[in-house]
Amino acid sequence: MDTSEDLTESSLLVVVLDVGLSRATTLRNDPALAGQVLEAVIAFSNAHMMMRLKNLLALVACDTETTEWIYPESKADMSDLRQQDGQHELFNELERTVRRKIAQLLKRSAGSNSKGESMLSGALGRALCYVHRMQQEERQLNARVLVVTANGQSVSQYMNFMNVFFTAQKQNVLIDVCCLGPESSLLQQGCDITGGQYFRPPQPQGLLQYLLWVFLPEPLLRNKLALPPRVKVDYRAACFCHRELVDIGFVCSVCLSIVCKFSPICTTCHTLFKTPGTLPIKPKRKKAKLV
Amino acid sequence: MAAEDDGKEYRWETGYEKTWEAIKEDDDGLLDGSVAEIIQKAKRKRMLERKSNARLGMMRHIFVVIDLSECMADQDLKPTRQICTIKLLNAFIEEFFDQNPISQMGIIVMKNKRAEKVSDLTGTAKKHIKALHQVESMPCGGEPSLQNALEMAMRSLKMLPSHASREILIILGSLTTCDPGDINQTINELKEHVIQCSLISLAGEVHICKALAKATGGQFGVVLDDAHFKDLLLLHVEPPPAAAKLEPALIKMGFPHHVTGAVGQSKDAPMLAICMCHLDVPSECKLSAGGYFCPQCNSKYCELPVECKACGLTLASAPHLARSYHHLFPVAPFAELPFNAGDKNDPCYSCQRSYSASKDKNIYKCGRCLQIFCVDCDIFVHETLHMCPGCASHPSTTSQLK
Ligand SMILES: [Zn+2]
Ligand SMILES: [Zn+2]
Ligand SMILES: [Zn+2]
Ligand SMILES: [Zn+2]
Ligand SMILES: [Zn+2]
Repeated sequence: MDTSEDLTESSLLVVVLDVGLSRATTLRNDPALAGQVLEAVIAFSNAHMMMRLKNLLALVACDTETTEWIYPESKADMSDLRQQDGQHELFNELERTVRRKIAQLLKRSAGSNSKGESMLSGALGRALCYVHRMQQEERQLNARVLVVTANGQSVSQYMNFMNVFFTAQKQNVLIDVCCLGPESSLLQQGCDITGGQYFRPPQPQGLLQYLLWVFLPEPLLRNKLALPPRVKVDYRAACFCHRELVDIGFVCSVCLSIVCKFSPICTTCHTLFKTPGTLPIKPKRKKAKLV
Repeated sequence: MAAEDDGKEYRWETGYEKTWEAIKEDDDGLLDGSVAEIIQKAKRKRMLERKSNARLGMMRHIFVVIDLSECMADQDLKPTRQICTIKLLNAFIEEFFDQNPISQMGIIVMKNKRAEKVSDLTGTAKKHIKALHQVESMPCGGEPSLQNALEMAMRSLKMLPSHASREILIILGSLTTCDPGDINQTINELKEHVIQCSLISLAGEVHICKALAKATGGQFGVVLDDAHFKDLLLLHVEPPPAAAKLEPALIKMGFPHHVTGAVGQSKDAPMLAICMCHLDVPSECKLSAGGYFCPQCNSKYCELPVECKACGLTLASAPHLARSYHHLFPVAPFAELPFNAGDKNDPCYSCQRSYSASKDKNIYKCGRCLQIFCVDCDIFVHETLHMCPGCASHPSTTSQLK
């Protein structure tokens, strides 16, 4: 029957939770919301664990100062968590660990008043390393990542994000994004590159419903559901000189820097260029070689 | 003929002995070295040798030449040399285009003293994968002709603009080559056109191969087993340092918008159009509204990167270029530290695995963020992720640009 297949297959979900939610302007006037988001994420995590006996879950959190590994704890990792009758204990343990460690993280970051970007790319990097390890330990593992954030516009982390997206694509890992703040074209690109779902709930208060509706179904099932349609993704390049989006630009053949106007020297690698525009192709006819 | 020069006709039959020699030498006196360990060491060594901010020729043009002569049916690689080669090349192609996104590749096979082009220079990985699929079922036969294959590749490569890097990678199973003329003359011509030739021999050292690689600045390697074969192949994923003779250039490039053509986009929804990329394969042609449109002439393509067939503009997307930036900003190598089981150790910073004395001889420390990683994460970070998760977790170290 089906059961034998179900037992061998497991699905790993790594939740990347940005706890710097209250900094997003859209959420600032609702201080209770950060708590609701945590509740929703915990309930959602439990729902994922209930879907299948062998499902796995991990949770990484980040704020503007640091990233923190929340679940599973490495010690607990070593003892067997998949006891047949231990399901309830498992949920309990998950919930307690997550609450305790998130509280620790919030306490630590409460002192600092940084208004910077969330360290989202670092948290995603740790998530993918974990996925890499689990994929090697367990053959039949589907893995995906869910990002819950309110700060997705991170200029200084642009390259980190790109590295993360391409790595995920290579690992066959979907990146889903639930965006509670302003639209993030960067995270949209990540979803588009990895085949994940990008969604911005119209009412953050109803987060749990949206999570269960959009992000709980496994990728294979999603084709059969009417989920929010793919958005149009802006893939234009930003020039290195003005950080403006360009349709047609010039690319240095040595370092691939993009500039919007021809210049005789590359600002990134200091290469000197000779001729502008396309290069002439001169086929040199050699004398006949073989007799 | 060339192989006969050094007088050892049965060189490849002694292949096993050579394998053990290599292990003893590489292992600095340790006798229990396994091939896996050699490979891991080689990986780290290569990582350490990689210089940061090195100038690299990124618009690569490479011809992969596959030997399909009689000896490729041998079973010293499993299941056969031919199938093993194809299998590894599939992975190589994916990896190559992943790391060299605006590069082009072509494939040539050698059999019955002739060279045959099975796929022309193009930047679409899928076409090559398809061609390889055909090669997999081709019967092996006759002798290879190195010279014919080199001449064929050179005819295409020498036409390229001078800023393009030109390479030929040959996978040779045979110990002999059957050439119509003087191969040394061909080698001189290759040198003249700055075409770098590398060879991977499945059988053993062949004098002319070594000479060819040396003269053109390429690499020459003899495989020990399939894992080592893979390792030698993947060496060529990394771009070669730009040869001094290549002229750098600023290349005009287009970055098309992606229009999904999803229902509900009424205002600027495009008309139905046939993509240019499938014009030559009518059966695969799809009439659709979505796609990428050339900003210069408005031709439509379903995939990037591509060279516009109508106006010649190279079309790419920003992430395609960003994929290559890790060559400019590589993660600095981590320091190797001995692991002492007695010490109280946190688990690996990124994968959370606890270290064990049996598996972890060493642990690895990032010099920038000072976090400690396991050996698997060390390699994963440097070969795949190209970003240190520890550095990316702190505002002061998160940006590679200074
Ligand atoms: Zn500019
Ligand atoms: Zn440059
Ligand atoms: Zn065009
Ligand atoms: Zn690790
Ligand atoms: Zn670091």
